[in-house]
Amino acid sequence: MGALSIVLSIYRELTGLGRVTGMNDIYAWGIWKTFNTMVLTGLGSGGFSIGIAAWIFFRRKLHSVMRTAVLTSFVAYSSGLIALGIDVGRPWNFYQVLMPWRWNGHSPLLEVAFCMPLYACFPLFLENTPPLFERWLYTWPKFRPILMKFVVPATRLTYPYVIALAYALPMMHQSSLGALMLLGGSRVHVLWQTPFLPLLYVWAAAFLGYSCVLGVLMVSCLAWKRPLDMSILGELARIMCWLVLSWNIFRFLDILARGQIGAAFAFDRFSLLFWLETLLLVVPSVYLLAGGHWRIPSRLFLADVLIAAGGMLYRFDPTSFAFAARPGAVYFPSAIEALIGAGAVCLALAAFIVAVKYLPILPAPVTAWHDLQEYAQAVHLKWRFKTHDFSYQNRPDLAD
Amino acid sequence: MTWSRKPKPTVAAHLKRCGVPRRDFLQFCTQLMVAAPWGLAITEKATAAEVAREIGQARRPSVIWLHFQDCTGCSETLLRTSKPDLADLILHVISLDYHETLMAACGHQAEAALSQAVRNNAGKFVLVVEGSIPTKDQGIYMKLAGRPALNVLQDVAAQAGAIIAIGSCASWGGIPSADPNPTGAVGVDEIIRNKPVINLPGCPPNPYTLLGVVFQYARKGTLPELDELHRPKFAYDRVIHDHCPRRAHFDAGRFVMQYGDEGHRHGWCLYKLGCKGPDTHAGCSTRHFNEIPDVWPIGIGAPCIGCTEKHLAFRVPLFEQVPIHDATPPDTYPPVHTTTGSISAPGVAVVSVIGGALGGAAWVAARRFRSEEETASIIKANLQSSQKDNPNEEVR
Amino acid sequence: MELTRREALLGVVSRCVPVAAALAVPAAEAAEETPSQPKAPVGMLYDATLCIGCKACVVACAEANDLPRDVSLDGLHQAPEDLNAFTKNIIKLYKPTDNSPDSFVKQQCMHCLDPACVAACPFKALWKNDANGLVAWEPSRCIGCRYCEIACPYHVPKFEWDRINPKIVKCELCRPRLAKGYEPACTSVCPTHAVIFGPREDLLHKAKERIEQSPNKYFENRVYGEHEAGGTQVLYLSHVPFEDIGLPSLGTEPIPARLKWQKRIYKFLALPLLMYAVLASVMKKNWIDHRKEMLEEERRTGLRPQL
Repeated sequence: MGALSIVLSIYRELTGLGRVTGMNDIYAWGIWKTFNTMVLTGLGSGGFSIGIAAWIFFRRKLHSVMRTAVLTSFVAYSSGLIALGIDVGRPWNFYQVLMPWRWNGHSPLLEVAFCMPLYACFPLFLENTPPLFERWLYTWPKFRPILMKFVVPATRLTYPYVIALAYALPMMHQSSLGALMLLGGSRVHVLWQTPFLPLLYVWAAAFLGYSCVLGVLMVSCLAWKRPLDMSILGELARIMCWLVLSWNIFRFLDILARGQIGAAFAFDRFSLLFWLETLLLVVPSVYLLAGGHWRIPSRLFLADVLIAAGGMLYRFDPTSFAFAARPGAVYFPSAIEALIGAGAVCLALAAFIVAVKYLPILPAPVTAWHDLQEYAQAVHLKWRFKTHDFSYQNRPDLAD
Repeated sequence: MTWSRKPKPTVAAHLKRCGVPRRDFLQFCTQLMVAAPWGLAITEKATAAEVAREIGQARRPSVIWLHFQDCTGCSETLLRTSKPDLADLILHVISLDYHETLMAACGHQAEAALSQAVRNNAGKFVLVVEGSIPTKDQGIYMKLAGRPALNVLQDVAAQAGAIIAIGSCASWGGIPSADPNPTGAVGVDEIIRNKPVINLPGCPPNPYTLLGVVFQYARKGTLPELDELHRPKFAYDRVIHDHCPRRAHFDAGRFVMQYGDEGHRHGWCLYKLGCKGPDTHAGCSTRHFNEIPDVWPIGIGAPCIGCTEKHLAFRVPLFEQVPIHDATPPDTYPPVHTTTGSISAPGVAVVSVIGGALGGAAWVAARRFRSEEETASIIKANLQSSQKDNPNEEVR
Repeated sequence: MELTRREALLGVVSRCVPVAAALAVPAAEAAEETPSQPKAPVGMLYDATLCIGCKACVVACAEANDLPRDVSLDGLHQAPEDLNAFTKNIIKLYKPTDNSPDSFVKQQCMHCLDPACVAACPFKALWKNDANGLVAWEPSRCIGCRYCEIACPYHVPKFEWDRINPKIVKCELCRPRLAKGYEPACTSVCPTHAVIFGPREDLLHKAKERIEQSPNKYFENRVYGEHEAGGTQVLYLSHVPFEDIGLPSLGTEPIPARLKWQKRIYKFLALPLLMYAVLASVMKKNWIDHRKEMLEEERRTGLRPQL
């Protein structure tokens, strides 16, 4: 599927956007910008949202899923950015993103165009390097001294600042993704169009990130027969549900404050869509929290899928279903467009699977770590330095 | 008729001597301008006065008019001009040295006049030919003074400065050439091949077409631009259909279906009655006949028969429709909100397949979780029951 | 040492509120910037009551701008159905099904005083001329993101969907002609002077004169474009409702004003940098605590921690 999408993308590059996609002048943004970029990067916000809980609010338990979260983010962002690259019509002018004097400071799209690649290439990428280094530590003896002497200490020094950047940047561009549709004005239906759109978007990204990582973890454990740690998953689920419910309350209050609550009961397709989103989000959250059902994996999984669907739908709507641009204008992705979009997702999945198999990413019981240590000692992996050298007893400058 | 060898006076001088009022001459020039607004060098002027000056400076050209297999309709059309009396003007503006219908002489005098006119103006006169020339059996089917028309034409044309074939008969054969063409009637350009011949087809053509050509030759010595059938472009470059006053009815789909029906009374389009307008090059739709507006075939309710066209006139049945060469441009306006975009079936198919696959996968995963839970709970129950037996074992 | 939620919140708030307040005030003042007005805005005045739908302007525009023919209607005749990649100017017909009057309408770029497309474009490919105010497109800057199409409330910019080197196509008031001192092509050929060219002030004046001279002839006795979305340089007079001829009812606030909070937040990147500073300081502290914990674990279990 991924290979098919690559082939089709080349075809699109050669023939121009119009022949390949279903986009037109009224619906100028098809699913690539709106789904692959807005929705998938929303799903890929696990690195930032779980990270904030784990690092800023010091939820220790969540550290074990951080690597999965960050990898998911990286893979989702890369796929989203690739789709964005295919979507723009004149990509050869994109070098201007490196020239600040050519920027238009008013444009939210500039912020997205600058911040998202920066985030993906710099902090997110760096966050993903420790598992790689670990692997090299065990399997690449020649690199080990360089690793231990230069790379690891450098990483340790800069890590806090990199991670802080990795939280600041997504907040900026996820909210800018919301700000994009502010310019749509009254063409975005009133149930979605609000000055708080950026805030709602970044908030939705947060809980979407949780739901995606939760789902990924559960599916990986299912697929590779790993045990589920319900306490960690439960913590993720609980945080997610609280985020979802508070988000919904805020959204309702916002609609009330703008006086548009009547539109929610108009029973046209917009109000039905609104209720679909709301129900998809609220019902599973309440269900999970209320009865403690988060303890039961199957129910947790289904609820998680529904919440993810609701969140994705929310981020997708203002650009498509709720974008009533002009009477007589319709849009539906063409077959090739859908295939390229889906293929990009599959490429992401494939990358994820390869990475997970190759690198230590998924959380595992402590016994696995014990086994690894025993293995290392059993095969007499020689360290250039004394053992425990990387403890802070010998390197007081790194200790505090 | 003058026999002297003195240089001829200019048209202006001659008119003055004959006492033709200047206003009449100006009106004539205006008519000429209306008849041939462009494509004719002599009338491409801003005012009638300028045209008058141009023509006035011309020397009266000598014109020899030969009749062959004709009906004299082309001469008649020339006479159907009245402001001023064009016959008068023609005799003064051009020097009509030989015209069988109009000249006073006859018999041997007429013959002598012809040979004299040819001799005196050799190489300079304008030969106007009316009527087709029979070629079968050495052309015996039309004789002029005992000689076949073929030979007469060849002799006279050899000395002509310019040759004009007026009317469809002279241009391509006309009515005499209709099937089965028993006399082998052909147009002038089939006989005279070594000299340029200007064809003015029509049955009859508009008189001002002839005058425009003649005056340009007289003044400038040049002939107007011709198309591939040697017809002057200024008169024959458009089809009737493109300038027909009834075109709006054609575009709106209002056709006469039968002579005398309601549509016919309202002046609707005659295309369905077999009007050859769409395929006929002529200027009749803008320059009507007899100087009365709307006096032309379509104007009086008779469909055009395509009399200028060799492939149509007297060949294609009157009521047979001709193809339209240039479609009428659309006259529609787009609505304020046009439909944009479409929903492609393959797109819907792909998206639904993908959506279905994802949904199915989620469902399957949930079921697998549930089955594992059931297994786990069974194991737990077993352990618990066994723990009741052995309370010391650790339960993980 | 674990940071409780309350402590974290308090720490953040205590640090950033005063600073934010200090920064926000000048930011708020500065953010009220009105866009710089063009010095001598020129525009067009289109009077729908005078237009006869002859489409001479459509033909003139296509010729003056060297546009390819749009023959999508019947494959032979140039009859565009909408503004598109080959059509910068079009005449449309509003024909209601009841007996209310119909109207032609000429559609092209409105050359707004504060254009949404200019605010939307990330690299200033769409820019507004300082002198005469016309909104033009610069190919060397455009990345083909089509945000301008989303932003424009009149759906004016069109994209060349079928080309590998696609352009954004829209009316630019015949820039080359203006440079030589001529009028735009459409205004120069209109047989009834339904669309005329001139400085915006003059056109507004003329329009108001017409309204005064014929009260109740024009819809709501006003000119469309005087204040709509901050004002446009192409003004419309109509005898039928503006909405019916495709002129949406926008408020008087310019469209880019919807981004004013974004502008304030990102002014000098102050708030993002502040947020980063807060996050970094919290992270540093937590990181060190985390390392200490890991060291403890190591001492306790004898196992090397993860990197």
